[in-house]
Amino acid sequence: MKVKIKSNWTAVASWRWIANDENCGICRMPFDGCCPDCKLPGDDCPLVWGQCSHCFHIHCIVKWLNSQQVHQLCPMCRQEWKFKE
Amino acid sequence: MSLKPRRVDFEETWNVLLGTIKGVITCGTVPRHVWNDRFSDVYKLCVACPEPLGDKLYQETKLFLENHVSELNQSVVGNGDESLLSIYHKNWEEYSRGSSYLNQLYGYLNTTFIKKQKHSEADLNYGGFTVDPVDQMLEIGELALDIWKRVMIEPIKSQLISLILQEVKRDRKGVSVNQTVIHGVINSFVNVEEYKRKNPMQYYETAFEAPFLQETGEYYKQEAQQLKDECSCSEYMEKIIQKLDTEDFRSRKFLHPSSYTKVTQECQQRAVADHLQFLHGECREMVQNEKRKDLTNMYMLLRPIQSGLGVLVEQVEEFIKQTGLDAVLNVKGDNIPSQFVESMLEVHNRYKDMIKNVFNGDQQFVGALDKACAHVINYRLNPKSVCKSPELLSKYCDSLLRKSSKGISETELDDKLASSITIFKYLDDKDIFQRFYSRMLAKRLIYGLSTSMDAEESLINRLKQACGYEFTNKLHRMFTDMSISMELSSQFHDVVKRDNLHTGVNLNILILQAGAWPLGQNILTFHFPSELEKSIKRFEGFYNSKFSGRKLSWMHNFCTGDLKFNFTKKTYFVTMGTAHMAILLIYNNRNVLSFKEMQLMTNIPEKELTKFLQSLIDIKILTTQGSIEDESTFRLNPDYSNKRTKFKISVATQKDSPYEVEMTHQTVDEDRKMYLQAAIVRVMKSRKVLKHTLLINEVISQSNSRFTPNISMIKKCIETLIDKQYLERTANSTDEYSYVA
Repeated sequence: MKVKIKSNWTAVASWRWIANDENCGICRMPFDGCCPDCKLPGDDCPLVWGQCSHCFHIHCIVKWLNSQQVHQLCPMCRQEWKFKE
Repeated sequence: MSLKPRRVDFEETWNVLLGTIKGVITCGTVPRHVWNDRFSDVYKLCVACPEPLGDKLYQETKLFLENHVSELNQSVVGNGDESLLSIYHKNWEEYSRGSSYLNQLYGYLNTTFIKKQKHSEADLNYGGFTVDPVDQMLEIGELALDIWKRVMIEPIKSQLISLILQEVKRDRKGVSVNQTVIHGVINSFVNVEEYKRKNPMQYYETAFEAPFLQETGEYYKQEAQQLKDECSCSEYMEKIIQKLDTEDFRSRKFLHPSSYTKVTQECQQRAVADHLQFLHGECREMVQNEKRKDLTNMYMLLRPIQSGLGVLVEQVEEFIKQTGLDAVLNVKGDNIPSQFVESMLEVHNRYKDMIKNVFNGDQQFVGALDKACAHVINYRLNPKSVCKSPELLSKYCDSLLRKSSKGISETELDDKLASSITIFKYLDDKDIFQRFYSRMLAKRLIYGLSTSMDAEESLINRLKQACGYEFTNKLHRMFTDMSISMELSSQFHDVVKRDNLHTGVNLNILILQAGAWPLGQNILTFHFPSELEKSIKRFEGFYNSKFSGRKLSWMHNFCTGDLKFNFTKKTYFVTMGTAHMAILLIYNNRNVLSFKEMQLMTNIPEKELTKFLQSLIDIKILTTQGSIEDESTFRLNPDYSNKRTKFKISVATQKDSPYEVEMTHQTVDEDRKMYLQAAIVRVMKSRKVLKHTLLINEVISQSNSRFTPNISMIKKCIETLIDKQYLERTANSTDEYSYVA
């Protein structure tokens, strides 16, 4: 071996959300940004996916679900809303 | 003795009383029992049958006092001007004391008889009728004073005043005078009307004070003129200050306290305010030469004068501007950022100190210093070019916080950071600073170059204090990412250990949130060396199991690692970027590589590859013939040697290229546009309809804490918002907008 990697290597990566859409269907803000109630995007304002595969800011969908009296439906496809595990 | 009212022979009782009164008013000897008995005489007369004799008693007493004072007056005048003051004073002392005793003796008359006829305070204040003091009955003490005023002072008033003025003049010339006499005489003007409820000082003010002030003014006018002709400005100021001091002392010696400030004001008016032009004319020269003593004097003289300091303040501001610009524009050579900041700080501290010592920390001067510093710091040679200061300041901070060999102590570092905040506060373009700063901070964090995390955080907290949470939240975010990454790394290591998946490479992971880090758009991608590929894949698996819905993109240009060189005589440990690693690792299987092969195997774009190869050739790790072309071939250099066994091949991106600077300014412009648009919408949303100029002013005041927007940019933003139908022009006016909900 002419050159060898010494044990330590620092790897740098950045992350962003992969969602099926650009914007949140409830607040219409980009997923790269945050919901209107938050100041900082990222870990403070995460996204959640439903079993119907639609995706929203967690704050937005929780607000929506709380406002529904009878059935909790996905605002996009009207199926029953269940959080994807 | 009975208290019952009974018949009294007025003449008889009055004659007895009169004897005692004479004794009292001249402060002669009155035996105790006589004094005591006279109280009952007064009482007897006041309650006498069939009708009380109080009125008669009052009239008789008044007559007696008038005669007495007029006799005294004769004796005062009779002795001529020379002893007039002293005899007046002697008689006044005696009379005023006597009359106060007399007032006590007539206590019963005062309380029962005179008070009833007097108008109450309410009558005087609200009754609306004017009271002629001659008609009104006065308490005996007051009566005595009134008579003194009418019968004694009035006839000889002008004589008295001119004598007093003469005496004061002699005192000014340094001739010793009888202080008690003059003080007593002057105060008698106050005392004779002190009992009055309304305007008790009026008599003193008109009879004595006014002519005195005039005389004083006249005197100082002459003095000042004379001094001005004889002396230089600095001597003039010194003498005037001295004179003002002694005059103040003199007021305290002779005058009533109410006159002290008036006298001082009069003197200042004559000696300073009347010669403002002369004094102001000298300001420039004194400031330019920093004559501290003269400036202190000048400040003392000018401060009490209305609008007196203006010119001096202007000169100081101008001068600080000039020295500041001289210092800052002459910065040359290497390490410009630190020279710039340090010379600016030196100027700032020097004049802050001067203002504290010379100008007593006066707010007007502090304001001038601030204005001057802001001017210097935001100065641009050419109005179209951008100001370099934000960039220089952030570079200065970077050089302080970067690990370096300089080794300054923690407290020293802290002081320097604190003083860079001083400069920061003067910056107009704080957002440009923020951009540069966050880019440099990102590099320090990613490459692990920070001297100390405590220092980093303390500076960010200071910025937060100066500019608010919004300004620093991205910077805070970066710190959070660092600590999250630390945690992730150690969790990953645990998993690797548990599952026994070690690949021989220890992975340190930094996972950064895309929005918070200023990472730039053009991310270089190429094949990771196969040795690393496995670890990366494993980590991605680990990460995806922890977080769903997140996509990682590897920032090849920020990854660094260590290589061990075995092909040389000595072994070396070299830290380098991943691209260099990828290139060098190929040589494990090959001896000679051509440019094309290299490109194929690493997948690094040609332009970048040329750069990387060039840097390896420059430090003689690789050898080639001639310049780098498609057909060039490269070999490892087995003769490579270096004094150090551990060193670093600097990653090209660690240094700021002019291109990056340009990019930074561009992104700042983009940010500003967004910020301005948001501000415009906020303002319009609350106001609904607004005139153009008012809107511009509102927007400027909102954005001033971050940057000074230029008007044309605001106009463009308004245009954009009209296009986007947030706003529209109102139908009947050309310079008015309304908000479209």
